[in-house]
Amino acid sequence: MARDLKEIKDINEIKDLGWDELIPGAALFSFTEPVEDVAEVPMEERPYAPTNSHEWQVGDWRVEKPVYNRDLCIDCQFCWVFCPDMSILSRDKKMIGVIYEHCKGCGICVEVCPTNPKSLLMFPEHMDNDEALSMWPKKEEKDK
Amino acid sequence: MVKKIKNLKEFSLSNDRFEGANLMCPGCSHNIIVREVLNATDDPVIVATATGCLEVCTAVYPKTSWDVSWIHIGFENAAVAAATVSAAYEVMKKKGKLPPATQKMVDEGREPKIVAFAGDGGTYDIGFQSLSGAFERGHNFMYVCLDNEVYANTGGQRSSSTPIGASTTTSPAGSVSYGEKMMKKSMVEIMADHGAPYVAQVSPSKWKDLVKKVQKGFEVYGPVYINAQSACTTEWKHAPEDTIEVSDLGVDSCVWPLYEIINERDEHGIIYSTKLNITYRPKTKIPVEEYLAAQPRFRHLFKPENRHIIDLWQKAVDARWEYLQKREEAGV
Amino acid sequence: MAKKYELNEVEVWDGNMAAAHALRQAQVDILAAYPITPSTPIVQNYSKFLADGYVDGEFIMVESEHSAMSGCVAASAAGVRAATATSSQGFALMVEVLYQASGMRLPIVLTVVNRALAAPLNVNGDHSDMYLGRDAGWINLCSYNPQEAYDLTLMAFKIGEDLNVRLPVMVHQDGFICSHTAQNVKPMQDEEAAEFIGEFKPVNSMLDVSNPVTHGVQTEEDWHFEHKARQHHDLMNSVETIKKVFKEFEDRTGRKYDMVYTYKMDDADVAIFALGTTVESAQIAADQMREKGIKAGVVSLRVLRPFPFNEIADVLGNVKAIGVMDRSAPGGTFGAMFNEISAALLARGKSPVVLNYIYGLGGRDTTIEMLKGVYEDLAKSAEAGEAVVPLQQFVGLRGPKLAFY
Ligand SMILES: Cc1ncc(C[n+]2csc(CCOP(=O)(O)OP(=O)(O)O)c2C)c(N)n1
Ligand code: SF4
Ligand code: SF4
Ligand code: SF4
Ligand SMILES: [Mg+2]
Repeated sequence: MARDLKEIKDINEIKDLGWDELIPGAALFSFTEPVEDVAEVPMEERPYAPTNSHEWQVGDWRVEKPVYNRDLCIDCQFCWVFCPDMSILSRDKKMIGVIYEHCKGCGICVEVCPTNPKSLLMFPEHMDNDEALSMWPKKEEKDK
Repeated sequence: MVKKIKNLKEFSLSNDRFEGANLMCPGCSHNIIVREVLNATDDPVIVATATGCLEVCTAVYPKTSWDVSWIHIGFENAAVAAATVSAAYEVMKKKGKLPPATQKMVDEGREPKIVAFAGDGGTYDIGFQSLSGAFERGHNFMYVCLDNEVYANTGGQRSSSTPIGASTTTSPAGSVSYGEKMMKKSMVEIMADHGAPYVAQVSPSKWKDLVKKVQKGFEVYGPVYINAQSACTTEWKHAPEDTIEVSDLGVDSCVWPLYEIINERDEHGIIYSTKLNITYRPKTKIPVEEYLAAQPRFRHLFKPENRHIIDLWQKAVDARWEYLQKREEAGV
Repeated sequence: MAKKYELNEVEVWDGNMAAAHALRQAQVDILAAYPITPSTPIVQNYSKFLADGYVDGEFIMVESEHSAMSGCVAASAAGVRAATATSSQGFALMVEVLYQASGMRLPIVLTVVNRALAAPLNVNGDHSDMYLGRDAGWINLCSYNPQEAYDLTLMAFKIGEDLNVRLPVMVHQDGFICSHTAQNVKPMQDEEAAEFIGEFKPVNSMLDVSNPVTHGVQTEEDWHFEHKARQHHDLMNSVETIKKVFKEFEDRTGRKYDMVYTYKMDDADVAIFALGTTVESAQIAADQMREKGIKAGVVSLRVLRPFPFNEIADVLGNVKAIGVMDRSAPGGTFGAMFNEISAALLARGKSPVVLNYIYGLGGRDTTIEMLKGVYEDLAKSAEAGEAVVPLQQFVGLRGPKLAFY
């Protein structure tokens, strides 16, 4: 009989499932229990199933990462709307930070950030964020 | 129920129902479009997806990136899949046999929105028959074409959406070829001519325009077609961070005009008015050359022997822009 | 609510009408179909039922068979009962989606009115379409007359939708000879049929917006094999449910169905194996042979998939010679049924003479004389203890004798 994929909590357990344990038809579930109104539930509160890619990581795809500087940010949400990977965390109309587990380092958020200097900048993946913040460039003079 | 989205800050209150750690390329527009479409409503959404990048990268066993019910059947049948889910929904609603949670939503005036996503290959080419059939039959669903003008998933072959001069893996530029020979098929007009109540062209870089159109589409009953520009970093060969800039260049050069076509019907279903509205007018219309120059898939056009193709491009874009404006003015 | 259709105890229906009534009584939620001879009347009849208020569900006349099956897949994944009908070229156009339906484990019912495949184009009955779909992972039920087409179509829903099965089911009937030949059919009354099939039980319904489900995933080398294994396992094991449903049907109607159909096999020395309407013709031929002192019998499959390997070896293992009739152009080898039956016999250590007859292509008449000719071959071979004719022969064909091996 198929084990209920929803009941498996540990991602690693899924990887070893034998044919007899699979859900017929290879259906996958987003959550471990019903969510009545998904659009109303923020991701922190969702009962994600281990089969939801939310529980997985792609952070290791990056060579550079976006670093966020709260001091300069005007909360315009450009980074939020154009991030292809749901990796800008915004709450109550405020930008909060980057979800590094899901950020692929595309650099779009940095490109679209309108502040000067930018409130998001790309730094080498291995660099510490505090170090990056300490190296933040000064305001750039626009050439006339 | 129409979600209130006055500005971007308000939009950012949306809780995404499309998840991270999918396998799409960094900087992929498909994802941005999907987010904007899903976040345009808080009503339940059910999605059908054609084979293509979006499908192979968001439902790779044992992971799904979808927090809405989702189905993929094949490359050429996303339209009929969505259309039939819609029909199934209506039958169950009529019979009073909807699942309780769904019935509750319906009672609150929040009917599920049924959306198909397909690439240009799955839309302009192999899925065209299924799309045409589903539109003719008038099912209540939205079809969004993620138009990156190429078969990206299979390594960048041309489609009937590939524009002239683009170098693709089956229309490569070479010593005696400037690349793709055909102009792009005008899918928006073709779908409008099916009599669909609402048809529009959008770009993810103009998020508000896109969201407004999707909301309009959700409000009408019947098949809705949305043609979404989808800059593809891998096949257009621009840097991933330039996705939004390239999209903007397309819009501001009028290569990718943003407009909608509304077919209004009377109570008998007879179309009494067709209106085309241009929804975005660039302040200054930039030369097509700038758009082409931003994408290495057109690099070879800048060789002296191919310059005439750039001229041709400009002519074609101007003529089309002119045509759209005339239609808008004439109210047809 | 759909109106009740007043039915007589005995109706005179052709196979298409029989199948259409079974679909109506199943109260299919979504019937997505496209017309093609000879199955067209199924969808026409169904449309008329709908137009007259006998159906609550929807009939969607799509723009191709590819979309018909795709629509069934989507509807079934949405959690509703879905069915369609087709033949031949339409079946061929569906093939891609047949695999998707079974791989996604959706209990769709497909009534197939068997017809030849082009080229050359031909609208008449043979089994080319049935053979084309035999590896598609569906349960395949075979009928020989309108009554059986009706019975098996009803049972198809109950079998496929069983929670231990959840697989799509095809019900085959011969083009024209069954589909367009009116015969007596004893139907169930509407309520009884509905009660027999039962309510559709949605599994992982896409319409339940509080339980988002992903259907139709990508699996690569790390998962595909396991999923296909699971599917094969469940298809093989569907035998249990099939037998259970056959039994329940018999208890209700007195009409008995088995995995393998046999006629006068208890003492048979020679047997014809055939599918479809030929089974009934072969019985007449067998009776005539018996009058001449040849102990002739007939064997057929009621269930083509899952293939009743053991039962076939059992019923055919003790005869001396078997003529396997394949009604599909074999395309460079023996007929498919010849291969499968020979394999079952060999693997079970039985070694009767097995001969292959290719016959009836494109609706060519299958005469009693022809079948008697086959029995003659078999009788001679039985007596000699080896094949005295070529192993593969085309019968009923004009021109010089065509035979191989
Ligand atoms: C019937 C069929 N033919 C061909 C393919 C191979 N195939 C899969 S995706 C694809 C191209 C997809 O292109 P498009 O629809 O533009 O989507 P994109 O990947 O660009 O988003 C092709 C050719 C297939 N899966 N099925
Ligand atoms: S784009 Fe820049 S300024 Fe705007 S919210 Fe993001 S980080 Fe802040
Ligand atoms: S780098 Fe790309 S993926 Fe990462 S947060 Fe920025 S936009 Fe999102
Ligand atoms: S190839 Fe293009 S469309 Fe496909 S995932 Fe990559 S960027 Fe997106
Ligand atoms: Mg494409």
